Amino acid sequence: MRIHIIGAIFRKEIKEVLRDKRMLYLIILLPFFLYPVLFTLIGKVGQSQQEKLTTEKINVLLSPELEGTAIYDALAQSGELTISLGAVNKEKLDTMTNGIGIKVETNVNQALAAYGTIPVEIMADQSKDLLKFRSRQISRVLEGVNQVLLQQRIEAAALNPEFAKPLAIQQVDIASEEEQAGKVLASFLPMIILLFVFVGCIYIAIDITAGEKERKTLQTIFTAPIKISEIIAGKFAAVFSVGIISAFMNILSLIVAMMIQVRLMGEEVGAFSLSIDAQGWFWLCLIIFLTTVFLAALTLAVVLLANSYKEAQSYVSPLMMMIIIPAVMSQMPGMELNSTTALIPMLNISLAIGAVLKGGFSTAMVAMVAGMALIYAVFALFFASQTFGNENVVTGEKIDFKSLFSLRKS
Amino acid sequence: MVPFESIPYRHSLIHRSYMEVKIEARGLSKNFGSFRAVDELSFDVKAGEVFGLLGPNGAGKTTTLRMLSGLLSPSGGEAFIAGHSMQSQQQKARTALGFLTGDMDLYRRLKPVELLTYFGQLYEVPKPILRERVAKLVDAFGITDFQDRFCEKLSTGQKQRVSIARTLVHDPEVVILDEPTTGLDIMASEFILQFIKKMAQEEGKTIIFSTHHLDEVERLCDRIAIIHQGKLEHYGTISEVKQKTGQENLADAFFQLVQQAQA
Repeated sequence: MRIHIIGAIFRKEIKEVLRDKRMLYLIILLPFFLYPVLFTLIGKVGQSQQEKLTTEKINVLLSPELEGTAIYDALAQSGELTISLGAVNKEKLDTMTNGIGIKVETNVNQALAAYGTIPVEIMADQSKDLLKFRSRQISRVLEGVNQVLLQQRIEAAALNPEFAKPLAIQQVDIASEEEQAGKVLASFLPMIILLFVFVGCIYIAIDITAGEKERKTLQTIFTAPIKISEIIAGKFAAVFSVGIISAFMNILSLIVAMMIQVRLMGEEVGAFSLSIDAQGWFWLCLIIFLTTVFLAALTLAVVLLANSYKEAQSYVSPLMMMIIIPAVMSQMPGMELNSTTALIPMLNISLAIGAVLKGGFSTAMVAMVAGMALIYAVFALFFASQTFGNENVVTGEKIDFKSLFSLRKS
Repeated sequence: MVPFESIPYRHSLIHRSYMEVKIEARGLSKNFGSFRAVDELSFDVKAGEVFGLLGPNGAGKTTTLRMLSGLLSPSGGEAFIAGHSMQSQQQKARTALGFLTGDMDLYRRLKPVELLTYFGQLYEVPKPILRERVAKLVDAFGITDFQDRFCEKLSTGQKQRVSIARTLVHDPEVVILDEPTTGLDIMASEFILQFIKKMAQEEGKTIIFSTHHLDEVERLCDRIAIIHQGKLEHYGTISEVKQKTGQENLADAFFQLVQQAQA
């Protein structure tokens, strides 16, 4: 292979991409502005939605048996609730706006005096977020009343307060802030990285293969005294470069967006820091690099099978599914990087990125994933060379798998 | 099959006419599945000749030209360009060839000079020579007026000028032009035809020219091949085909030959 020929093809492809403003906006500029705007917007909408959930007036209908009880008093003091008394049933609640019912069918004061248990039903349409949220809030208020009444009973029985609480259970999270942040990032970042790289690769791959076929420019290059391997190398280098730049821009934009969001939310979310050591960064960068190599080769090989831009675009969704499904699977409980999962394309990459972000990863396993990504990339490039070498690329005939391995002699 | 360049008497004066052969089709055949598009076609074109490849639609002209250019592999036979086998010495054969068909377009987002330079680089034309050659082609094809426009903004005639300049950027010995005047107006066609004539007469280039315009063939071609359903029906000079059919003009002679072949 001649480097200067590959370089000439690469420079030409990049020049054309840089002059295609639509692609430039889509791949590079849009993500850079999109995520900060999107995150800020989502944050603002979420904030206003949260405010609405806590401040919107709710009509609470209490059974008449609750009049003058501690429950009534506690609810009356909790604010943003309009309390009324009446028979509580579904039909009545359906006619009310934002109605929650608290149904009690026993005489409360008599039951309390007799140290009995009073069944209390909180009735609400739980399919509505507002009523679900507020009924849980009411439940917490009633739990508070329950604790006060329990305390009174313990005192009346002259018992120790610990009598009713043999175990004091507490969950203690020993993970550091960095580890917690790593866990959060590992839950979504691998999929986002894979998608960014894929989106970065796919559109230029379509443009310089199926797009060129459609625009009748591909066969011109086949008449020049250059090898198929040189054409593939030049085009692959262009797809890889745009893919890696796109991924870098997207990740950078995402980090900026997250930082803006953390700053906007201030103390609510606390510090958001990530601790990846030099070795972790090395493996993370290497895996992203090799993933881009693999996806650039894969997209190039697959979209070349199409004869038009439109046909190539129909391959995008299935390809995207091939990335999303393993990435989602990697988040399933118990799914971890081992010598079996390290062999499965995409799943291995997603698990490896997740492992590095969480920290404490096995270098051997991550190295195995890097090796597999390289092997798959070589296989995809071989597939691409078979496709390029097929003379149906010249005649415009559909390339089927049978003809895929009948090479033009070159 | 003996490679052309390995024939020992190639440089002998006795075989001068053979030595001057620049394009040779030796029993070329092409099958697409069970369909035989080209059937054992043999002809040669000598240096400085303008050779017309004629035939009705679907006769196998484009397939033949694609095999000569190496875009398609023959199912049988062999093609030679400037003495190099397109099958076993493809790099050398392609270097000697400039090829243009109606199925080739220009890169939309490149300017004409960038496009010519790009192809010059692919043909490994040394930088200073390439610069000079591109400048000459830009001048010769009147590209200067639109050299700052992207190719997608050019008219059909302007695109065709750039396309032909592209086929010549590496100064090939052999040029294959498949219907180069299709879709062009009279002025643009005339410009292309004049240039083809000049290339052959002044620069000694060997040209295969395929067209449906028989008047263009009569004006330009030294010899012709008429093919029908993949088979060679006539191979010789225009006067020979007229004599053979007893017709006074090429169009009538062509029509008669094709009808005879169909019968």
